[in-house]
Amino acid sequence: MKRFIAALFILPMLFSGAGADDGLIERIDALATGKLKDRAAQIEAISETGDARAVPALQALRDGSLYFRKSDKKVFLAEKSGSDFVLKDPLTAAEVETLSKSAVRKVKVNNRLRRQLTAVIGSMTLESPDPGTRLAAARTIFKTGDVSALEALEAAIRTEQNADVLAAMELARASALLKSDAETFEKVKAVELVGTRGGRDAVPLLKELESSQDESIAQAAGKQIAQIEKAQVLWNSAQTVWYGISLGSVLLLAAIGLAVTFGVMGVINMAHGEMVMLGAYTTFVVQEVIRGSFPGLFDYSLLMALPLAFLVAGACGFAMERGIIRFLYGRPLETLLATWGVSLILQQAIRTIFGPTNREVGNPSWMSGAYELGGLTLTANRLWIVVFALIVFAALFLVLKRTGFGLQMRAVTQNRKMASSMGIRTPWVDALTFALGSGIAGIAGVALSQIANVSPNLGQSYIIDSFMVVVFGGVGNLWGTLVGAMTLGIANKFLEPYAGAVLAKILILVFIILFIQKRPRGLFALKGRAVEA
Amino acid sequence: MTKTAKGSLLYLDGVSVAFDGFKAINNLSLVLEPGEMRAIIGPNGAGKTTMMDIVTGKTRPDTGDVIFDGEVDLTRHDETDIAALGIGRKFQKPTVFESHTVEDNLELALDRRRGVFATLFYDQTQKDREAIDRILETTRLTARRHERAANLSHGQKQWLEIGMLLAQNPKLLLVDEPVAGMTDAETEETARLLREIAQNHSVVVVEHDMGFVRELDVKVTVLAEGSVLAEGSLDHVSNDSKVIENYLGR
Amino acid sequence: MITSFVFKALDRRAIWVIAVLVGLAVLVPLLNLALPAGHPLHVPNYAISLMGKYLTYALLALALDLVWGYCGILSLGHGAFFALGGYAMGMYLMRQIGARGVYGDPVLPDFMVFLNWQELPWFWYGFDQFWFAAIMIVLVPGALAFVFGWFAFRSRVTGVYLSIITQAMTYALLLAFFRNEMGFGGNNGLTDFKDILGYAIQADTTRAALFSASALALAAAFLICSGIVRSKFGKVLVAVRDAESRSRFFGYRVENVKLFVFVVSAMMAGVAGALYVPQVGIINPGEFAPANSIEVVIWTAVGGRGTLVGPIVGAVLVNAGKSVFTAAFPEFWLFALGALFVAVTLFLPKGIVGALSGLATRRPRRPAPVIRDAAGEAAE
Repeated sequence: MKRFIAALFILPMLFSGAGADDGLIERIDALATGKLKDRAAQIEAISETGDARAVPALQALRDGSLYFRKSDKKVFLAEKSGSDFVLKDPLTAAEVETLSKSAVRKVKVNNRLRRQLTAVIGSMTLESPDPGTRLAAARTIFKTGDVSALEALEAAIRTEQNADVLAAMELARASALLKSDAETFEKVKAVELVGTRGGRDAVPLLKELESSQDESIAQAAGKQIAQIEKAQVLWNSAQTVWYGISLGSVLLLAAIGLAVTFGVMGVINMAHGEMVMLGAYTTFVVQEVIRGSFPGLFDYSLLMALPLAFLVAGACGFAMERGIIRFLYGRPLETLLATWGVSLILQQAIRTIFGPTNREVGNPSWMSGAYELGGLTLTANRLWIVVFALIVFAALFLVLKRTGFGLQMRAVTQNRKMASSMGIRTPWVDALTFALGSGIAGIAGVALSQIANVSPNLGQSYIIDSFMVVVFGGVGNLWGTLVGAMTLGIANKFLEPYAGAVLAKILILVFIILFIQKRPRGLFALKGRAVEA
Repeated sequence: MTKTAKGSLLYLDGVSVAFDGFKAINNLSLVLEPGEMRAIIGPNGAGKTTMMDIVTGKTRPDTGDVIFDGEVDLTRHDETDIAALGIGRKFQKPTVFESHTVEDNLELALDRRRGVFATLFYDQTQKDREAIDRILETTRLTARRHERAANLSHGQKQWLEIGMLLAQNPKLLLVDEPVAGMTDAETEETARLLREIAQNHSVVVVEHDMGFVRELDVKVTVLAEGSVLAEGSLDHVSNDSKVIENYLGR
Repeated sequence: MITSFVFKALDRRAIWVIAVLVGLAVLVPLLNLALPAGHPLHVPNYAISLMGKYLTYALLALALDLVWGYCGILSLGHGAFFALGGYAMGMYLMRQIGARGVYGDPVLPDFMVFLNWQELPWFWYGFDQFWFAAIMIVLVPGALAFVFGWFAFRSRVTGVYLSIITQAMTYALLLAFFRNEMGFGGNNGLTDFKDILGYAIQADTTRAALFSASALALAAAFLICSGIVRSKFGKVLVAVRDAESRSRFFGYRVENVKLFVFVVSAMMAGVAGALYVPQVGIINPGEFAPANSIEVVIWTAVGGRGTLVGPIVGAVLVNAGKSVFTAAFPEFWLFALGALFVAVTLFLPKGIVGALSGLATRRPRRPAPVIRDAAGEAAE
C-alpha cells in the first residue's frame, strides 16, 4: 500500500517523459501470458522501452499486487477491498472497475524475479533522463528505505550530476543503509545524515531506529529526533504566525474601509460587509465577461476588477451618504439601524440578481500554487492577499496624510464648523470620505473573492469581525487597525490547535468584550479633553 | 499632609495633570475654609474647568493631594461618591434633564436616598413637596413647574440648575461661569441667588465677568497656566504685577 | 410601598392595555374552542399559534424598549436572552419526552444518544421539573445580563460600543450553541416536543392555554414596566439616558441603575423565549443570530421607543406584515424590512405611537385605540 502511494506520487511526473504509446501497454499485458519462466524476458522487454510510466506496474508486480482479468487477460493494478478487488489502469492508475476475487488472478513472481524487478525499476527511475523522475525516485526510496535499491542507488550516485538529485539520492542511500546489515559506524553516520537533511520526513524512520538493539544507533537516532523536533517546534510556530498574519490580512482588508467610515467619520456602517460583497460580485461579473469574450485575459481579471469594484462600492457608498446618512449625523444609533436596513436591501438585491447560491470566482494562475520556505508552506493566494492588504493600508495612509483631500477630511472630522468657515465644502468631503471607505471595502471584496465563498451572505460573515478589529485597535487610528487585525489574526491561529476553530473564535470575542471594558477606546486610544467633545 | 488639611473644607496640594504631554494643571495648591465663598478667575486655558473636573472626580490627577472636609481623599472616589459626600457642581453650559419637567428635575436632585430600590419605591412626602415649592420660589420658576426643562430660556436653565444644586444641599458648591450669556438683569439676579446660597453653603465660583466678581465681593484666586498666580481681595489681585502682565493687562 | 408602585403603574393607558390583553387572553381561546369551525367568529387554530408567537415577540420588544427607549442602552443582543429562556424551556420539554424518543432512552434526549453520550451532562439535571425550568428561564438570562452588564456598565462602555459588544455577545453564543459538544443539540437544536405539564403540546386546548399565558405574561410585564417608568427610578432612567454624566454628578450610581434595568429586561426576554418555544415547537442556535436581535430593535422603533405601547404595536404590526409578505411575495420581504429600517429612522424617529401621541397631546385617549387596532389586525 505504502509503495502504491509512492508510485502515485511519481506518476504525474512521468507524463512529460513519455511519448506516444509505443506498445507499452501490450508489453505489460504480456505479463498475463505464458509461464513463470517466461517472465524474465517479459520484464526485460518492458525495461527496454525505458518508459518510466511502466514503473508502477513493475512495482506492483514485485509487491504482488498486479492482477489480470480472467475474461480478457488484461493486466491491472489491484487493490483489495473486502473480498473484491478494485482494478486500476496500470499506466494512469485510474480506477477501472471492481471485480470479485474469482474474476481475477495474480501475476505470479518469485524471489529471483523480484531481484530482477528491483534492478530494472532502479535503472528506469534512478537513471531516467528526466531529473524530476530521478528526484522522485530517490525520495520514494528515502521514505520506504528499500534495501534492495541500495545497489542501484550506489550506481546512480556515481554518475549523478544534478546537485539536488544527488543530495536526495545520498539521503535515500542513508535511509536504505539503515535497513541493511551494514556496519554500526556506517549506520551512525547515516543516522546523522538522515537527521540533518531529512527534516520532518525522517522522524518516522528515526523513531524506528530509536528502539534499535544497537546502543549507539539508538542514541544517535534519539539525538537527531530531539533536534528535528526542536526545529519543528520553531517552524510550526512560524507557520502558525504566518497563518495568523494571513488571517490578520483578511481582517485588515475587511476592516480598513471601516476604519475610515467608523474610525474617522464616526459613522456606524452596518452595510460595510455588503460593500465587500459588492466588490466580490464585481469580480465575478468581470470574470464572466472575460470568460465569455476574452478568455486570454483571464489572468488579468483581478487587476481589471479592482478599479471597477472601487467604483461600484464607492458609488454605492456615495449614494448612501447623500441619501440617508447625512440626515442622521450625531445620531449614531439611528445610523446603525438605517445602514442595517440598507444592508438587507443590498443582500436581497444580489440574491435576486445572482441567485442565493455561491458563485464561482476563479483564481488566476499566479494566485495558485505554493512556495516552500524552509519548513514553511506559503500558498500563493494567501501570500498575495497579505501583500495586497499591506499595499491598500499604505495607500490609504498616504491618502489621509499626504493629500489635500486627506487634509480636508481630517479637518472636517476634527472641527466641522471651523473647516466649513475656512471654505471647505464639508458635505462634499463627508460624501467623498464615505465613498472612499466604501470603495476600499469594494477592493477588499476583490481579494476576498479569492478565498471566501462569493454568496449574498459574504458581507455578514465579516461585519462583526471588522467591527471587533476597529474597536480593539482604537477608533480613529489606522495603525490601531493594522495592529488590531494582526493581533487578532495571530491570536486566533495560536488558540485554534488547543481549542478548535469555533471555540478559538468565541474566546477571541470574549477577550475583546472584556478588553473593551478595560480600555473602552481601544489599544491606541486618544487621551485628554478632546475625547470628551 | 492630613495635618495641614485638618479644618479646611477643600484642600489641594501640589496637584498636576497632563493630557498627552500638555500640563493642564501644574503644581496647583488651594485651601478653602468651611463656609467660605471663593471666586476663581483666570484666562482661557488656565485650568479652571480641569480643576473642577479633578475635585468632582471626573479627572484623576497625576500627582498631588485633593482632600475634602479635612480627611476624605477625593482622588480615590468617583463622581457618584463625591456627589454623595456633598459636593455639587454647576456646569459652564447649563445641563439639566431636558425631557423632564422642572419639578421632576428638582425631585431628582433632592437629597434623598438614591439607590435603585429606594427610588423604585419612592413616594413624594409632604416635606419633599414643600422643599421643591420653596426652591421653585427662590429660583422664580414656580409658574413653569410643569414645563419641560428643554423649553426653558437659557437664563432659566441656569437658575434651574442652581435650584437643583440647592435641592441637592451639598456642603460645597462648584459653580462654573454662572452668568455666561445672561442679560444684565439676569446677572444681577444670579449674584443675589449665589449670595443667598453662600449664607449656608461653601461656594467656589469660576467667572470671567469682573463686574460680577466685584458684586460677589469675596476672596479671589487667580489661575494661570495651571497654577495659582495670586490670591486675595479683588483690589489686591488686580494690582498684582504678575496678574496684570498675565491677564488683566492684555 | 408595593401598592403605591402598582397604583402608579396603572395610569389610564396602562389600564386600557392590560384590559385589552386580559380580554384577549380570555376571549380568543373561547372563540377558538367554543365556536364550531364554520362560525364567522371562530378563531382558527393556526391563528392562535401565530398570535401567540406575536405576543411573545411583543414581550421581547417591550423588554428591549425598557433598556433602549428609557435608558438609552441599545442592546443588539436581546435575542440572546430570548434564546436562553427558550433553551431553558426546550430542555424541560426535551426531558418530558422521556422514553418516547426515537431511541427510546428514558433519560437521554435523542441527540445525546445519537452522539453516543453515556449520561446526562450536569447542566441538564433538574430540568425534568417544571419549577426548576421556570426558575432557570429567568435566572439564566438574568445572570448573563448581570455579568455582562457588571463589566460593561462599570467600565462605562456606552453608545455604539455597547451595541457592538452586545452583538458580539450574541454572536459568540451563536457559535457556541452550534457546537455539538455544548450539549444543546448543536445545529438542530431541541425539537420533537411531546408534553408540557402533562398536556399534549399539539392539542388545541394546550395551544389556547399557551396563547392565554403569553397574553397574561405580556400584561404582567407591561404592569411591571409601567411601574418602573412611572416611579422616581423611571425618572432616573430617563435622566441617565439624556445626561448620563450629569446624573453621576447628582450622586446617582449610573452603573447600578443600568444594571438593574438591563437584568430585569433580560429576564422578561427570557420569559418571552420560554413562551415562544412551545408554540413554535423548536429552538435552535439560529435564534442567537445577530440579525434576529436587530429585528427586535426595528419592531420597537416602528412602534415607538420610549413609549410602552409602542413596542407591542410595532412587534405585532411588523410580524403581521412579515407573515403576509412572506406568503405573497417571499422575494420582497427583505426589501420591505430594509426599507422599513431606513424609513423609520429617517421619517418616523418616534415611531407610530410616538407620532400619534405627539399629534394628540390634547386627546389623551387616543393611544388606546391604537393597540386595539393592532390586536384586531393580528386576529384576522
